[in-house]
Amino acid sequence: MESQHVRLCIYYKVAILLMFFSAIGIQVGRCEANSDVNYNIKAFSSSKKYLMTSYFGKYEKLLDSNFEEFIANELRTSFCEVLPDNTSSVIRRSVLLRHLIGEGSHRNLLSSMRFYVDPKSLSRLPSHKCELIVIERLPSGIFADPFELQHLHQRGVLTDVAVFGDTNLELPSFRSNRSAVEIHMNVGSNRLLSQKDGLEIKVQLPLHARYQPLDESGYSQVEFGDPDLFLRCCIEGKLQNQSCLFIPTSENAERKTGRAVWRIPSGIKSHGGFVSVVTFVSAFISTILIVLTSFFCSDFKTCNRLKCS
Amino acid sequence: MKKSHFCDAEPAPAFSNLPSVSLSQLAMISINIRSLLWLSAIFRVILIVYGEWQDSHMEVRYTDVDYLVFSDAASLMASGDSPYKRTTYRYSPLLAFFLIPNSIIHRSWGKFLFSASDLLVGVFIHSILKLRKVPEDLCMYSAVVWLFNPFTFTIGTRGNCEPIVCAMILWIIICLLKGNVLQAAFWYGLVVHFRIYPIIYVLPIILILDPLFFRSGLKPRLQNWSSRQDKTLRSSNKVTDQYDLWKALKTVFSKERVMFGLVSGAVFLSCTGLFFYLYGWEFLHEALLYHLTLQLVLIFRFAQDLPFCLFMQTVAFVAFNKVVTAQYFVWFFCLLPLILPWSNMKLKWEGLSCILVWIGAQLHWLMWGYLLEFKGKNVFLQLWLAGLLFLAANTFVLIMITCRHTYSPVFQRLGHPTLKNAEKNN
Repeated sequence: MESQHVRLCIYYKVAILLMFFSAIGIQVGRCEANSDVNYNIKAFSSSKKYLMTSYFGKYEKLLDSNFEEFIANELRTSFCEVLPDNTSSVIRRSVLLRHLIGEGSHRNLLSSMRFYVDPKSLSRLPSHKCELIVIERLPSGIFADPFELQHLHQRGVLTDVAVFGDTNLELPSFRSNRSAVEIHMNVGSNRLLSQKDGLEIKVQLPLHARYQPLDESGYSQVEFGDPDLFLRCCIEGKLQNQSCLFIPTSENAERKTGRAVWRIPSGIKSHGGFVSVVTFVSAFISTILIVLTSFFCSDFKTCNRLKCS
Repeated sequence: MKKSHFCDAEPAPAFSNLPSVSLSQLAMISINIRSLLWLSAIFRVILIVYGEWQDSHMEVRYTDVDYLVFSDAASLMASGDSPYKRTTYRYSPLLAFFLIPNSIIHRSWGKFLFSASDLLVGVFIHSILKLRKVPEDLCMYSAVVWLFNPFTFTIGTRGNCEPIVCAMILWIIICLLKGNVLQAAFWYGLVVHFRIYPIIYVLPIILILDPLFFRSGLKPRLQNWSSRQDKTLRSSNKVTDQYDLWKALKTVFSKERVMFGLVSGAVFLSCTGLFFYLYGWEFLHEALLYHLTLQLVLIFRFAQDLPFCLFMQTVAFVAFNKVVTAQYFVWFFCLLPLILPWSNMKLKWEGLSCILVWIGAQLHWLMWGYLLEFKGKNVFLQLWLAGLLFLAANTFVLIMITCRHTYSPVFQRLGHPTLKNAEKNN
């Protein structure tokens, strides 16, 4: 008995070693297999490059009024020189597509936009390296998973992406605050931008629904606002310093499609009463049955088929 | 090979009565526990490799989301940070510590560790049953119930840490069977720190550390499996059971009990204290109060048959808990093989009906969950009813197992003249 036990232990150790070596030998997966183990949380740390970091430095929650105030006033002081107000002549934007793909609680928000830059304005400036910043202010009840987005980032889909605000995955919508996703996309030099047809960008964002507050109809409608676009151009060779320009895109965007709406199931308040009662009664009956069985049916000798069935 | 259990006039237990194959035929196929373990090990390695492939090539990942949480927490710990900076990480820092090689060697290190614990559980199941003198073939079938159970082999290979907890609990049972109270206490303190649910086992363990069974310097005596049908042995224990309860209350502070309580408490508090100091971690307190009644009844009734008592408590706990997930099933699956040799349930049709009812209720529940989460339909009411149906299924299975179980205390009393029947069956 003891020797068999000892042998078992030895075999167990050999099995561990075998698994250890096969673990080293496994080369399955993408070439960036090792890098995506380290989800670098520091990538989300505050750096001058994210607009929303500055926003959340000043305000505690994401509110539309605060955000608009931030764009109007703070941007100039926090970041870079913003081009003159008559941006309507500089940039025009048209929303081509705003659509939710998929079903259920996990969907993708597909946005397609085209914007045109007035070549005259842009030609005044020296050659810039430009980056498009898309800020998606998510409505209450929807959240983005920062780790999922980081995964996308590592697959080369997006230059830079970060989630700001409430990223607690588990709270229902009425207990959580809004969040925003900031996406950076490289659009090359400003010479490229001044093309006649403008530049079209497509963004696909994976999003998830939270538990919604109760609604008599059984569904909650969540509507998405339009994303905010910013074009940040830095003078060639000098990144992340004062000599860059912000060109906010105009509010009067041409819209070729309706707003995206997400219909999420919610509980119905009138069910609450009988759900509680029936649950309690079921739990109570189950407990009683188990207790009775423990006392009357546990000994094979005293329990015949008739009693138990 | 001894066929003593075949000689009984009583109907033989289910597993020795497998349809269409006689035991002598099976004896000729010389599968033994070593081959079983090798087979299970190879199978798990294949599953882990397949899991890596599926992660890279398919939309739906094989790996559990929790595994990614552990890995992130482990890499945070490796760079000197707190693992709790990773949202939704709620386990002990020990787990993150063990997974540090994920960032150094390969990201599947954790899966191999969990699968190894999985195999260890199989080894322990076999050991426990051997200690209780269960025939080899029954030991093997019981081990198979764990090693080739689709619920359990996917848990380890998907990167869930539950097999480690199961291995620790079974090791505690082995220590108690061998009389190593100190070691049992140490591992018990550690396992409760790791996962809070084993706290429900404290009472039956304390109850079984009775001076009648445990005395310093003596190894405890175990009752044999073959004497489970012995009326006189059991009835004498039954009569004294009630007496023992009173005596237990009087001798509640026996040396073994005090030692167990102190050592496990000390281990638990030092682990928790250390990690609280390092990471400021707070306990997850589960609302155990509403489980209390059921637990007390089960303990009062079944404490002497320790594995059965633990099994009943665990199933009741999981069934009545407000959160149920598949990984919790592993908590009682590791204890199920320990009680099967004492069960009179036949696979046809009682055993099969239990399995089908339980799995059927789960699939039904999962279907509504799928419709809600992935199809966006308002099926809250149906989902709730499916949950209640699953509770009913669990109750049904519990009742069936209880009715068909032969209540068998684990230990014999020390220092008493051995009963003639017990000697005969040794």
